[in-house]
Amino acid sequence: MTVIESIPQVESGPRRTNRIGSVVRLHLVNKASIIGIPLMILGFILLVNIAIWAIIAASVTDRSDLADAQEGLQWSGASFYLFVYMMVVGIMAISAVFPLAQGFSVTRRDFYLGTSVTYLLLAVFFGAVMTVMAAIETATRGWWLGGRMFTAVYFGDGAWYERFFLFTAGFLFFFFVGTVIATIYSRWRVFGTLVFFAILTVLLVGLAFLATVSGSWPAVGSWFVTNGPTGFIAWSLVPTAISALAGYAVLRKATPKN
Amino acid sequence: MTAAVEVIGLTKRFGTTTAVNEATFTVEENTIYGLLGRNGAGKTTLMQLLTGQDFATSGEIRVFGERPVENSELLRRVCFIKESQKYPDDFKPRHVFASAPWFFENWDADLASRLIDDFRVPMNRRIKKLSRGQMSAVGVIVGLASRAPLTFFDEPYLGLDAVARQIFYDRLLEDYAEHPRTVILSTHLIDEVSTLLEHVLVIDDGRIIIDEDADTLRGSATTIVGTGRAVDAFTADREILHLDRVGGLASATVGKLTAAERAEAAHAGLELSPVSLQQLIIRRTGLSTSESAIAELEKSA
Repeated sequence: MTVIESIPQVESGPRRTNRIGSVVRLHLVNKASIIGIPLMILGFILLVNIAIWAIIAASVTDRSDLADAQEGLQWSGASFYLFVYMMVVGIMAISAVFPLAQGFSVTRRDFYLGTSVTYLLLAVFFGAVMTVMAAIETATRGWWLGGRMFTAVYFGDGAWYERFFLFTAGFLFFFFVGTVIATIYSRWRVFGTLVFFAILTVLLVGLAFLATVSGSWPAVGSWFVTNGPTGFIAWSLVPTAISALAGYAVLRKATPKN
Repeated sequence: MTAAVEVIGLTKRFGTTTAVNEATFTVEENTIYGLLGRNGAGKTTLMQLLTGQDFATSGEIRVFGERPVENSELLRRVCFIKESQKYPDDFKPRHVFASAPWFFENWDADLASRLIDDFRVPMNRRIKKLSRGQMSAVGVIVGLASRAPLTFFDEPYLGLDAVARQIFYDRLLEDYAEHPRTVILSTHLIDEVSTLLEHVLVIDDGRIIIDEDADTLRGSATTIVGTGRAVDAFTADREILHLDRVGGLASATVGKLTAAERAEAAHAGLELSPVSLQQLIIRRTGLSTSESAIAELEKSA
């Protein structure tokens, strides 16, 4: 986009704007709330966690008890908030930025493409941040206190690129799930959203029922074990892609309401 | 002159309500149009249809000869900031003015910053916390500075104080003279804008009921004031749009008068005065409402 805009203006006609690039810039115009605040909260959570780990380390004197306690720290969910934050970003992209983009005469297609590019950029950025933090956490043996936040057990113990893929794909999943929920609300309001969640619940409970009746829970369990966190996240790209396509299909006929 | 907008038999229904009903009209290029009508008459819906934000139930829309829906090339030339435009919660006016030039190719940054000073828009206050008038000003500034070949102003006067209204008026005419474009201005405050308008479209209950040149419309009715008897005598064989009686005096609004008729009226001791656009439209919309009410009655009988 910058390439096109840096071309000097031709006397005869107006400058051309790249709509998709402009939508990306629109999403990122207020960097404080989309990058600054989540990073600040992440830093704050890390500091609080470090304080707690320090308290544990100071108060648990018995060596084997301490090992036990630190063993439990791998189940940390402290960094999950960042994923949830990105789902909220996905919701706001449709509920707040889409109406403004319409006011700026952007088509739904250009808006959705620009929004998807924005998600990809943000997912890669926050994926990289999480990967770097995980590397630091490993190198410092848990911030010198045996703490675990970025190397929690759900994120696996693979190589850095596996972690990076896992984080990035995880963010993409939350972005597009937020988006699809918001597009449904934008087009069919509360009723449509309720119907969507009802159908989703029926589907999930139905699957659980099928698994129980057919006695395939052990197979489900072993599927998770064999795939591991990275395999599981790779599979998450399927619902992510479905959400992305569904979001566009729903948005194509949506009109921002007051 | 070529048409900026052509609409044929346009209808938009939401469930059982018909927001726009069989509208047919043309908007000439490089003209200032007024889209007038009462609250809920269908003004915003009509503009959303023209800018591809909403989808027609039936009928045809051509903007600069093309269909607006999902037409990226065309929409680049259109600017429509709704009166009820929603902004992201964390947005401040500075974010709006920083991002608008990325979308409007004719954006004039100097004009924008001059207008920001003129309207005293607080750049660093959240848009949610702005007053109604300041919010209107944000939309007005984007509309003016974008210099889009087709610009909509949706209720630009809402909440603006007298000074700000004058600024909008002056800046619009000034900029319009230098950079002619098609302007469609929607409002229910008719007298405020009447001198700006070159052409008037009045929408009532989803129907276009007046589509006329503003000057023609202004001359299309006259108010006659005099003694009740003189007024009655003069209007005996004429259609009366409106009649008021106060004591022995009467005031009647009638259609266009010829020079001979004016002389006749003057001779009968009657006073003639022009009817303001607002009065005219109130009378015409009042009339159309009662006509449609009668039609309804006849249908149900």
